[in-house]
Amino acid sequence: MTWLNSHPLTFLVFAPTLLGFLIMALPHSLGRLSRLLGFMGALAVFVLSLAWLLGHGGTGATIFIERAPWFTLVGLPVDYHLAVDGLNLWLVLLTTFLVPLTMLGTWNSLKDRIGTFAALFLLLETGMLGALMAQDLFFFYLFWEAMLIPMYFMIGVWGGDERRYAANKFFLYTLSGSLLWLVALLYLANKAGGFNPVLMGQAASALPFSVQCWLFISFAVAFAIKVPLFPLHTWLPDAHVQAPTAGSVILAGVLLKLGGYGFLRFAIPIFPAAAMHYAKPLALLSVIAIVYGALVAMVQRDIKKLVAYSSVSHMGFVMLGLASFTVIGTQGAMLQMLNHGISTGALFLLVGMVYDRAHTRMIADFGGVAVKMPVFTAFFLIVTLSSIGLPLTNGFVGEFWILNGAFLSGFGWGRLYASLATSGVLLGAVYMLWMFKRVFWGPENKDEDSGTHHLHSDLNAREVAVMLPLVVLILWMGIHPRTFVAVSEAPVANLLREANAPPVRTFVLKPAVHQAPAAHEAGPEAHAAKPAAHEVHQ
Amino acid sequence: MSLTPTQWAALLPLLYPVIGGCLVAIMSLDKDQATTKWIRAAMYGTALLAVGATFWYLTDLWTTGSQPTFYQLHMDRLAQFTGIFVVVAAALTILQGWDHFHQEGWVKGETLALLLFSVSGMLLFAATTHFVALFLGLELFSIPLYALVGTVRARSESAEGGMKYFLTGAVASSCFLMGGVLIYGLSGTLDLAIAAPVLSAKGLGTDPLVLVGAALLLLGFLFKVSAVPFHQWTPDAYEASPHPIAGFMSVATKGVAFIALLRIFPVAFKDLGVVGVKMQAVLAVLAVATLVLGNLTALVQTNVKRMLAYSSISHAGYLMLGFVAGTPAAFNGVLFYLVIYLAMNMGAFGLLTAFGLVGEKTTFDDLRGLGWKRPAMGVSAAIIMLSLAGIPPMGGFYGKYMIFRELVATGHVGMAILGVLASLVSAYYYLRFLVALFLQSPGAEAERLASDRPAVHAPLAGASVLVCAAIVMAGGFLQAFLANGFARRALVDGLGLLR
Repeated sequence: MTWLNSHPLTFLVFAPTLLGFLIMALPHSLGRLSRLLGFMGALAVFVLSLAWLLGHGGTGATIFIERAPWFTLVGLPVDYHLAVDGLNLWLVLLTTFLVPLTMLGTWNSLKDRIGTFAALFLLLETGMLGALMAQDLFFFYLFWEAMLIPMYFMIGVWGGDERRYAANKFFLYTLSGSLLWLVALLYLANKAGGFNPVLMGQAASALPFSVQCWLFISFAVAFAIKVPLFPLHTWLPDAHVQAPTAGSVILAGVLLKLGGYGFLRFAIPIFPAAAMHYAKPLALLSVIAIVYGALVAMVQRDIKKLVAYSSVSHMGFVMLGLASFTVIGTQGAMLQMLNHGISTGALFLLVGMVYDRAHTRMIADFGGVAVKMPVFTAFFLIVTLSSIGLPLTNGFVGEFWILNGAFLSGFGWGRLYASLATSGVLLGAVYMLWMFKRVFWGPENKDEDSGTHHLHSDLNAREVAVMLPLVVLILWMGIHPRTFVAVSEAPVANLLREANAPPVRTFVLKPAVHQAPAAHEAGPEAHAAKPAAHEVHQ
Repeated sequence: MSLTPTQWAALLPLLYPVIGGCLVAIMSLDKDQATTKWIRAAMYGTALLAVGATFWYLTDLWTTGSQPTFYQLHMDRLAQFTGIFVVVAAALTILQGWDHFHQEGWVKGETLALLLFSVSGMLLFAATTHFVALFLGLELFSIPLYALVGTVRARSESAEGGMKYFLTGAVASSCFLMGGVLIYGLSGTLDLAIAAPVLSAKGLGTDPLVLVGAALLLLGFLFKVSAVPFHQWTPDAYEASPHPIAGFMSVATKGVAFIALLRIFPVAFKDLGVVGVKMQAVLAVLAVATLVLGNLTALVQTNVKRMLAYSSISHAGYLMLGFVAGTPAAFNGVLFYLVIYLAMNMGAFGLLTAFGLVGEKTTFDDLRGLGWKRPAMGVSAAIIMLSLAGIPPMGGFYGKYMIFRELVATGHVGMAILGVLASLVSAYYYLRFLVALFLQSPGAEAERLASDRPAVHAPLAGASVLVCAAIVMAGGFLQAFLANGFARRALVDGLGLLR
């Protein structure tokens, strides 16, 4: 137990892998036992992560840290460095929460090789948790790449008809970004004499600005592919649609977050000047992603594809928040990442539940589902509203903060882009509600071949048990978001201060004669007293 | 002539395989070997014993740290490293050979005898800088390999591949010989390590004939590592030869050629100023060509063995990038890469045997669905293929990492970018192997045939694949031990680099 006390993070990261290997060693005939074992293990990891990470009661900068030298190859030391702090605490908890929940939610979705699937799922959990916790860039890179392997097989083996194409595209697309990033990483490590992000940041600041820009671009491309940011999003619809439900949930829920998290944790702190230099293009691409994703989602005929494109739109908000370089915008991005994990994860689960019954996901095949599955409809409605961003649900808070941050940001483009992005919220309501109307309302689709015809049962107790915690979280995050962003406030503020972010603008209504001097004074004052994210909200 | 103990110590690692080879050759005279299993088992046992004795002897030398010499034969740490490398590859080949030749129905002792002679030649080739000894080693390991490619005489394409390999190999050997002659004629010494200072002392450092001689020598090495443009024999020879032999050729030949190049090239030609720089430039160009051509051609192969052949060409490209960087740390990376490459490629060719693919039936279609039927082999295949593609946390990633890092450190950022792009391309065809194993179900025709045939029984090949997969994984987690404790010490004590 003393080992556990000093190495809780190591346990959380690697226990799933150990269990995964154990399950892989079990024979195929014990698939049901393997599935149960996998679920229990993932649940145990979730409970332990809650108990250790939240029960610790730490509100300081770093909650847990494990650090030891690992090895030195060709003169570059690599640290075994795991940490949980304000930036990743809730993302870690989201991961440990979603894994057992997804296993339970897709309990009967797969028919064959369920043991292997559970094992791969656990390996994936190790990859995700490791990438979230790793503080050494080499260590991070290992997890970042290793994560692809289980996901590749999850899509490729258990996916839909085009699964091989989708799996290969997912793998190679992501690999292309990270391999080029590896060269940048090696270049920087060579200058810094190691993979410690602090040392790398110091080394980067000594480089010529053009070199910094190139390095930042290679970091940004690797992360932007994962986010995915327009125009690097094209792998996502294929991967999402072809992946089995569990794969889609995790892909949307956690994997995409790693892109945004990578920006926040590594790309921006290491290259603050270059990041600021490219804030405008990043924000522009985010706005395009928001609007374009929403427009494409609108014309989809497949519900899953619609949700996939809505992911592009929602993750565009995350990137806009990060590009605003304001505390409230960045906090909004943090919250939006959690929101998207919960809401889109829930949407994929719900789509999976209806697909298991009807074996179709085409919107046109449904109609009048509300009559046949009232409980399902109620859950779907709540999640839909959260995805749209209705006040009192989580979606509203995140998007509001992000738009607010973009509007207030010290960059000249802030107000224009915020206004453009706002149309994404509107379009979000259009595509979600239109889809909802066609699937759930209206007369029951009596056609023999239709999806509605095959819906014989409403949600069972297991499925309700899966959806309830998600709905509770949706409301909790909508009503009291401070629970989820309090820890990240200090690190985010610190990050922006060290990045020398431009001060937020203030809009003070004063008589016209005093306008010029007042505006002059407002700058430094606003910088000194940045409003805390939650205060602005209130 | 009586030899001192140290002289014996330097010679013994070469003698063990030769003695074993002679014994096996005598045993294979028995004409009952086709019908009597114990004779076959005795031959394989003898071969394994000879290889095992060499391994034991070399590891003993390694642990005691002694570096005996016998005139021009330097059994130093680097030679011991090479010896262990070759002997492990040979042992895996023998294990896989037992299963493969039984599947082909062509178990002959001569195969083993030739293999053992080849091992001895490789040990000699990597343990000397003396030109005559080098040439002797080159021919001693090449000629048995020409015969080994065509060892299954029942297959006509086998003889064809062997002939192709022999003809091109003979040309390369003559070029090598001519290069050595030129250098000898100009410098008056046969020891290539001191030829360079002698040449510069004579003011011949920039003589065009020296350049021609060095280029011809280099050609001989590049042919053996199958670098572009001397690669054309590779796919045909690999496709024609038995799987374990193809694995042995891809690993051991390439490994010893690179190590011998390492011994001669940067160390001996360091003093040759201009020629050294020119050779470096030639290597850089050829490395790029090898990477691009090897990877792009591998993409369109339908036969797994041809794919692996082109993949081995592209791996030669990565290893040459290490020479382009040319720092001691890069050579450390090259040696580490070779250790992992041994496990990856012996494993990849062993998989073909373990899955029971014989003759011409080695296309991707023949692999379909096999990963699920043989889960242990399937997992090993995933580990080996992802490692070949350079995905962490497998060992192959660290090999590429070390080489790319040195490239970046020496300012060859463009080369490093090209290298990672090449490994991105390579990921596609390695994934194709896994796609066939796991993501595709077998065709109806294949299912019917499989149900007619007896189940594949390849315990030794299976075990060797498991060992290879374990080494590949270990390379990912004990990377510092392998790179610093093993590869680095070979460089430090053998060549005096990195001190």
